[in-house]
Amino acid sequence: MRSVLILSGFSVVILFLALAIGDHHVSIAQILAVLTDSPAADAQSIQIIRDIRLPRVILGFLVGASLATAGMIAQSVLRNPLAEPGLIGVNAGAALAAVIVIVRFEVPPTHLLSWLAFAGALTMSLAIYALSWNSGSSSLRIILIGIGLSSLAGAGANFISTFGNPQAVQRAMVWLSGSIYNSTWDKIRTLATWLTIGIAGSALIAREMDLLILGDETARARGQPVELIRAVMFVLCAVLSGAAVAAAGLVAFVGLIAPHIARALVGHSHGLMLPVTALAGGLLVVGADLAARTLFTPAPLPVGLMTAILGAPFFAYLMWRKKNA
Amino acid sequence: MVVIESARRNTPATRIFAFGLFALLLALLSLWSLTIGTTAIPLGDALRAIISEGTSHQDVVISTIRLPRVLTAIIVGSTLGVAGALMQAVTNNPLASPDLLGISAGAAFAVVISIVFFDAQSPLVFLWFAFGGAAVAGILVYMVASTGVSGVTPVKLALSGAVLSVFLGSVSASLLIFDMKAIDIIRLWSVGSLTGKDMAAVAAVAPFALAGVAATLLLAREVSTLSLGADVAQAVGQNVLLWRLVSGALMVLMAGSSVALAGPIGFVGLVVPHIVRLSLGTDYRWILPFCAISGALLVVMADGLQRSLTGIDVPVGVTLALVGAPFFIWLARLRAGGIG
Repeated sequence: MRSVLILSGFSVVILFLALAIGDHHVSIAQILAVLTDSPAADAQSIQIIRDIRLPRVILGFLVGASLATAGMIAQSVLRNPLAEPGLIGVNAGAALAAVIVIVRFEVPPTHLLSWLAFAGALTMSLAIYALSWNSGSSSLRIILIGIGLSSLAGAGANFISTFGNPQAVQRAMVWLSGSIYNSTWDKIRTLATWLTIGIAGSALIAREMDLLILGDETARARGQPVELIRAVMFVLCAVLSGAAVAAAGLVAFVGLIAPHIARALVGHSHGLMLPVTALAGGLLVVGADLAARTLFTPAPLPVGLMTAILGAPFFAYLMWRKKNA
Repeated sequence: MVVIESARRNTPATRIFAFGLFALLLALLSLWSLTIGTTAIPLGDALRAIISEGTSHQDVVISTIRLPRVLTAIIVGSTLGVAGALMQAVTNNPLASPDLLGISAGAAFAVVISIVFFDAQSPLVFLWFAFGGAAVAGILVYMVASTGVSGVTPVKLALSGAVLSVFLGSVSASLLIFDMKAIDIIRLWSVGSLTGKDMAAVAAVAPFALAGVAATLLLAREVSTLSLGADVAQAVGQNVLLWRLVSGALMVLMAGSSVALAGPIGFVGLVVPHIVRLSLGTDYRWILPFCAISGALLVVMADGLQRSLTGIDVPVGVTLALVGAPFFIWLARLRAGGIG
């Protein structure tokens, strides 16, 4: 439990740092003044915090929380610690749907983008489920099938961008690289709605997830409707992935890293893992974004690059750790 | 037993006949491919343009656009087919191919770096960067996949390759921050394409690609032995380490040169060796030449059919991925039992 407190304390520090640091630094006193709406806040700080940094930090946090929770669900339902929605094609499905919207519309409507991204992610989850579940569950096969589906969706997105006009395709590519620089309160509201549904649903079936991870046989013996729970988990994973991809594009590896952090801190119970995973994921994206936009000023990098730089070695570490386990 | 049976069914004579048939088919498809495009050019005119070096509009279109395109397709297809077969033999792994293991992505990323940071323009420079990128990517993926008690398994190799590709994708996208103009370069090099190759590029890269293919064909006996696995190969007196290193170098040569010419074209290296092996068994002295010709056939056909059906120039890498990814999924379902 102490580790959770440390993580929470750490989050507060990171969140304040993310609000304070930027092209124009804002003092902690000013941040507090703006947040509490006190008259001590000066106009410039109000503008910077309220219109630029606060939306960005909140959106980053929500994106991270969504991706992390989706990753936790994917790792549970596929019973594989390496399953990551970005790797197995769920995010690619959402991205394909979103690319269609972005290439088609000058200014993509936020709601349409979310719904279609969800539809894309759900289609992909269902495809993975349908293709891999006919003769018992081999979790390695699922990952391979996911890799195949992922490249299929990628090819689909490329196919569409061949036909789109260059400017639209350019928008789609920048968006795909995973960034939260153009955060708006509109996006935050949409993502928050989807995230609430996803997290609430996950919390409701947390105990069922604990049971399912022991194996189909065991879960069935304890009276669990295994197929139903699994279907719910796939839908929840699609809800969370779709919403995150619609808001920020492809931010890789958060869904891989955050659940592992949570497992290391609070163990394997999903009820405990859920809040810690979401917190860790949110923190990861806010921290990565902070690093991405400050390390190489004045050239801000997309947050997706930072998470990839963190995530790829982490993946190698997970493989290496299996040796010692 | 399977080997003996399939060998009995198709004798060397029938195999040589089949090879001749494939070669004829490739020639016909290539000629047909010359006639397709924004303006249809009759076959007779196309042939005359190749032979006579005329100066009419048609002649110029054939000799500067369509002929290099077909040659690129043939070179890249045969190189990737052979490279895929070699990788599958050496790693004992049905899911190996330059694109799946991230080697094409590494080579392409190196080419993008050469363009964005070193202002490279000549295919020869691309070539050396592509060799470097392919080698580094290959070594990295192999190292990551070989950690753990189970050693190098097909799934771990494929996973490491996928992770490397995702990672390099993110990094390339970030180059946009430094140089907005890079967007076209990155688009061009993230999907394999046959568009816009000139004769000079083909001439620069072809010797390397063909040298790689020729060397692999000459070493077919050793490749057959390697494909039996390290233990058996050692037992029959092969220096496994030496031949693995040689194979690695050949693979870098072939994957690098095909990427330098046409970008990372996926799935040829995976699909072709599988189909060839289904009908030819396990002798790489037969498999490798058939992979070379079938790979060329596949790429020429995919490009030609796509252009004649849609009338739009979709990058051939996209077309092949749309066909190849379902094949990969089918393969993963089929083989998943034995590759944990």
